[in-house]
Amino acid sequence: MTEPIFIDALGPNGPYRARNRLGVPDVAGNPLLELSLVPKVYVTRAMAALRKAGTMPQEERLAALRAAGELFATGVVDGMSAADYQYTVSRMSGTPLPIVQRAVRAIARSAAGSYDSAQKARPVGAVNDWRDPKAQEGTAVWIRRGDVFAVHAAGNHPGVHSLWLEAVALGFRVAVRPSRREPLTPYRLISALRASGFGDDQIVMLPTDYAAADEILRQADLSMVYGGQEVIDKYAADTTVLPNGPGRSKILVTADSDWRDHIDMIVDSISHEGGTACVNTTAVFVEGDPAPLAEAIAARLSAIPSLPPEDDKAVLTAYSMPAARKIESYLLAKSAGARAHLGGDGVVDELPDGSAVLRPAVHELDDPFAEQANVELAFPCVWVAPWTRDAGPAVFHDTLVLTAVTKDEKLLDTLLADPTIKNLYIGDHPTYWMTPGVPHDAYLGEFLMRTKAVIRD
Amino acid sequence: MSEHILDLPLDARPDPDEFVRAAMEWHFNPETGSAYWLNRAKTLDFDPREDVKGVEGLSLFPNIINELRDVCVEDLIPRGYGAKADVVGVYESGGTTGAPKRVIILRDWWQRIMAWMNAGMDEAGFPRDVNWLVIMPSGPHMAGKMSEQHAVDRGGIRFTVDMDPRWVKKLVAAGKAEEAEAYAEHLIEQARFVLSTQDVGVIITTPPLLERITRHDDLVDLINEKVKGIVWGGAHMDVDTRHLYRTEVFPGVKLRGTYGSTMILGGSRERLGLADEDACIFDPPAPWITFHVIDPDTGRPVDYGERGQVVMNHVTRNMLLPNNLERDLAIRVEPPAGQVGDSVANVSPVARFDDEAVIEGVY
Repeated sequence: MTEPIFIDALGPNGPYRARNRLGVPDVAGNPLLELSLVPKVYVTRAMAALRKAGTMPQEERLAALRAAGELFATGVVDGMSAADYQYTVSRMSGTPLPIVQRAVRAIARSAAGSYDSAQKARPVGAVNDWRDPKAQEGTAVWIRRGDVFAVHAAGNHPGVHSLWLEAVALGFRVAVRPSRREPLTPYRLISALRASGFGDDQIVMLPTDYAAADEILRQADLSMVYGGQEVIDKYAADTTVLPNGPGRSKILVTADSDWRDHIDMIVDSISHEGGTACVNTTAVFVEGDPAPLAEAIAARLSAIPSLPPEDDKAVLTAYSMPAARKIESYLLAKSAGARAHLGGDGVVDELPDGSAVLRPAVHELDDPFAEQANVELAFPCVWVAPWTRDAGPAVFHDTLVLTAVTKDEKLLDTLLADPTIKNLYIGDHPTYWMTPGVPHDAYLGEFLMRTKAVIRD
Repeated sequence: MSEHILDLPLDARPDPDEFVRAAMEWHFNPETGSAYWLNRAKTLDFDPREDVKGVEGLSLFPNIINELRDVCVEDLIPRGYGAKADVVGVYESGGTTGAPKRVIILRDWWQRIMAWMNAGMDEAGFPRDVNWLVIMPSGPHMAGKMSEQHAVDRGGIRFTVDMDPRWVKKLVAAGKAEEAEAYAEHLIEQARFVLSTQDVGVIITTPPLLERITRHDDLVDLINEKVKGIVWGGAHMDVDTRHLYRTEVFPGVKLRGTYGSTMILGGSRERLGLADEDACIFDPPAPWITFHVIDPDTGRPVDYGERGQVVMNHVTRNMLLPNNLERDLAIRVEPPAGQVGDSVANVSPVARFDDEAVIEGVY
């Protein structure tokens, strides 16, 4: 491709091409697309337009959502075929093509099922409408906490764009600030939503530089942001912002179970999705000697081939060479004192086009409380640590997904009760397991909605 | 008798090198120079009256701008003005980095720079005899004083608000974003009282405050109803923003930028006659005020059309402030025909999309 693809902002009056554009290269550094960056005053006005717009009737919007999901996954959107889109995303973000294809199907499923999925969060005492007969005796009605929802999206995985579709289903107007790393997925998805019946003032895409980004949140009723620990800290006290932070997902295997029976699940949890998702396993804890497990994981992960991201069999995420080197040197600095089973001398593997994949890294820790167990990097990078009864559940604080392979029900009770462990999978279930209707980090509906008492004649 | 070269109006085009040599004579002659420069000259490794033969020679000077933080302002007045120099005021830099820097403005320069800025307003078709609302830094800041003078010179009544930008910077630096937000909204509220009750024909304010105004539909309506022109300065405005103001937000209102600094005792004018799509170009009144756009690593000029850092020179009877490297980045543009130095476009701070230092985590 020689002509750059223009990714315009999608504003309340249609597409908007800014003079201020950011070149987004492919992983090899070749120009790929030009992203329009809108100024702050554009954001202000777009958000005001969302606020003034009405909400589409439910039946219409659910039909439009379903149609948009199909169009997004299979159709030609803004002149681009589904296959071209998937190829371009993998070249741009480095996400392996098979992962992009899976994510695309998942987004289409989410679009079709988002209302039903969102309804799972509705309290058992609440109904959706004051017209429900229950209101005659008095009931709770489930209502939106606002009208305008904003998302500062991530670019690590196309799948992040399936979640905010629930807000659309619930009747929010939505503003998405795309990631600079991969703005094509939200552009295509929102274009598809518009082509399927949503007005330009219902869902907007506002690419901005850092300075104007906060304006989107400021003008929204509720927001969801993706980021690292600093983002979590920044919005910790703000009840209108839902942060999606580090996953730091983990696996525990206690002495009553043999890790050898679960090695497929463990290895998969580390490398599935290219290791870039928050549900990928960052650390594996084993009651007993971690060395044989670390060795077994290393043996399995070392067999993964280094392939360009657009290859049908690609598993590893590709990065530009400078980005790959940066992550590698961070790993080398952080892994000081750990015993390397794989990747101890470096993980960067150059591809023929000058980009690179990060090959898996497996390090053994000697202390369950070693800080490395929470160092989450966006490639298959795992820390294998010993777990002891003394260390207990404390090492699993602030974990998105914990897979616990154990027969110890008392321990499971404790892990379930810990609110800082967001999801608990018991037995042979990989940390990346997800299905519509089961929450990813609590139901989004818990954040988007509230109940109101209604009684009527 | 022709006027002395240093006393010409700013639309004159004196030979720039002859002009600079005359200024060197004035500032470094023991009879006429300021106490500050006469004393400072002793530590220079060159003799300005001998060695500075023109505009290029100004780069021999060290950047003395930080010395203006503690020098006694009387020492800045050239002795040639005599015992009773006509002082308009003492003005201070914003105070972003530590103690403020001070300059002293004398009547002869003030009148000439204001006359030149005024002529620019006429050329741009800004109305006379209308009232001005000044939402600019007040107190020791030159921007507020100049704006007020503008209003008066052009036959209007000026309305002002109190505005202390240093307090805002302090709040932001301390992470108190909410307090900074509250202060900014307080300024907007003060402006609303004036706009909703008084006749206002021109508003002069900063780009961030103008953006904040556009958050309030009632203020946008009031401006479109009453205001003929908006002058902005003191910060940067990108082309997209300007285009949106012109076409969508304030379609019937003239928009004009200024780019100046207290450290040049004035500013430059937005070039007229450019296409809507073009970036704002600012032309300084050379040779009194000159810009040079350089590569900060080498000190060499960047090519026309390339981005670099702005060096500013102020050379008048009033003061000599040579070779001051500003923090601003700008594109180097050819000056108007026959003018020395550079013009500048797309003045901006460095853009940032994300916090790139952070690499841990998957987002």
